[in-house]
Amino acid sequence: MTPDPTPAVEFRAVSRHFGAVRAVDSVDLTIAEGAFFAMLGPSGSGKTTCLRLISGFEKPSAGHILIHGQDVSDVPPNRRNVNTVFQDYALFPHMTVRENVAYGLMVKGVDRRRRRDKAEELLALVKLQGYGDRRPGQLSGGQRQRVALARALINEPRALLLDEPLGALDLKLREAMQDELKALQKRLGITFVFVTHDQHEALSMADSLAVFNEGKIAQIGTPEDVYTRPKSRFVADFVGSSNVLPPKLTRALGGPAAWASLRPESVRLAAVGPVRGTVSAVRYLGAGSRVVLRIGEVEVAAYVPAGDPIPDIGSEASPVFAPAALHVMEG
Amino acid sequence: MLSDAPAVLPERGPADRLTAVFWRHPRVLLVLLLTPPLLWLGVVYLGSLAALLLQSFYSIDEFSGLVVPEFTLKTYAELFRAQNLDIILRTLTMAVLVTLTSAVIAFPIAYFAARFARGRWKALFYLGVMLPLWSSYLVKVYAWKLILAREGIVTWLAERAGAGPLLGRALDEQWFGGSSLSTSPVGTFIVFVYIWMPYMILPMQAALERVPGSMLEAAADLGASRGQAFRTVILPLALPGIVAGSIFTFSLTLGDYIIPQIIGNSARFIGLAVYQFQGTAGNLPLAAAFAVVPIVIMLVYLAIAKRLGAFDAL
Repeated sequence: MTPDPTPAVEFRAVSRHFGAVRAVDSVDLTIAEGAFFAMLGPSGSGKTTCLRLISGFEKPSAGHILIHGQDVSDVPPNRRNVNTVFQDYALFPHMTVRENVAYGLMVKGVDRRRRRDKAEELLALVKLQGYGDRRPGQLSGGQRQRVALARALINEPRALLLDEPLGALDLKLREAMQDELKALQKRLGITFVFVTHDQHEALSMADSLAVFNEGKIAQIGTPEDVYTRPKSRFVADFVGSSNVLPPKLTRALGGPAAWASLRPESVRLAAVGPVRGTVSAVRYLGAGSRVVLRIGEVEVAAYVPAGDPIPDIGSEASPVFAPAALHVMEG
Repeated sequence: MLSDAPAVLPERGPADRLTAVFWRHPRVLLVLLLTPPLLWLGVVYLGSLAALLLQSFYSIDEFSGLVVPEFTLKTYAELFRAQNLDIILRTLTMAVLVTLTSAVIAFPIAYFAARFARGRWKALFYLGVMLPLWSSYLVKVYAWKLILAREGIVTWLAERAGAGPLLGRALDEQWFGGSSLSTSPVGTFIVFVYIWMPYMILPMQAALERVPGSMLEAAADLGASRGQAFRTVILPLALPGIVAGSIFTFSLTLGDYIIPQIIGNSARFIGLAVYQFQGTAGNLPLAAAFAVVPIVIMLVYLAIAKRLGAFDAL
């Protein structure tokens, strides 16, 4: 089967301004059909506004938004075949879980029995069989999220939009939910677009992601692309715990005179090298230790595998790495 | 230096000693705080209500005009006499109409205030709604008497706009008309709606404000039109507020005795009946029985509201 070439969602020079604030600034974006797409960025970077532009809760100030090839810039939310899992879940407290899940069918005028059957089917999908008669108030946070998921999926949307879907869950539940969401997306084949400020979440779940900064997309690509080959200092800084080297230091370490990124796990410590630094911090990580070297004004993190000697704070050492590990950035 | 710091700070005086007592016995504070209001509520408030209930089971000796302090249902039976039943039905109809109208007018105002008004607009909203409550009730009612009078601005405007004959025809109507707006039941109705409106707007606004914006977005997201979202989400979630507001407008209209006295055709309402029976007529038992009517109506109303699920979203 060849993949559908029409993208699920497309932004063409989309801007959304709030007064003088350019929340989204001339963004071009293509989300492939069936993708698990992440929009990553710090708060205020425009990622949530982009999601709301897709669902229709925000209107673009300029540009066009296409859902499966159709321009929806003038289509209200209720007629866009995309559904949202809200950050606060936004379950209707006066309805039972089943009524919540079946809401999308109810407003379409589907008869009661079909509604009930379909709702049960979706509750089973999110592993909440037997919870149909409860009220949202009687559920735990994780269960509420599953209800929100089932409710958003009942209309069989073209794309499912998730706004910080795991933000309100505790760590353990979050990790379990990540795997489950991923599995669910694979099974259903629906395009998932999710917004997060957590780089680990974005890297581990998405098969493609956009990093947002100040209303623009700083980089777009696969998690590996973005993590190992950041295009800019901002991406390197935000996405990884990468070292960001200023041009002077890059050259001193044998690269060109340009900003570069260097992942701590590719840096080892040696007694001799082109540049010397002072050990300023050591953090034990179990499988190894993260050692921070202070070189002039710059801090460079290195990785010392378990078993190797860990230097004392204040001692001197040189960072060494394979030349290929150095990634030169555009700026 | 750090090791010099004492583990326990010295007691500074009686306030610290009292704090310690309250900390060790939290109940003491609770009892101290609750006793005065409970005494007030229990003795003065409920006590007077009990006295009222008791009075309503007495009767009046028709010969001497004295209250006979013996248990009887005779006084309640009197309520069902045609002229008394008339008063009850008239008051009830008025209260229902005032409440419905208030709800319809208040909703868009409350909705605007809850959903869209921010900062200065919100302050303006509160000021606009509360301002009428700061001035004397009597002054407002008399002001309305002038506004609605035959020589008043409403009639004048109606005539200017060419609606004079229409107004005249409406006032000719048997059961709500009169010689002018200020002497007709329509006038009474208008003033009731005006006077009680803030009591409808404020709880409604509070209820609407508690409906998160994301819930409306969720409804739209799932395909609901504005009308569907209103019926299935906003209205059910705002219902407790609407019911709370309607309790105010409904019960205040049921009990008011001043507005129908000043504006309208002097047809009697429950409040006016209570006022006259306990005053000029000296029939305290019948006045008490009349006073029980709004209480019973409100209880029935609340029971219906509860059954309709008005409090489910609380």
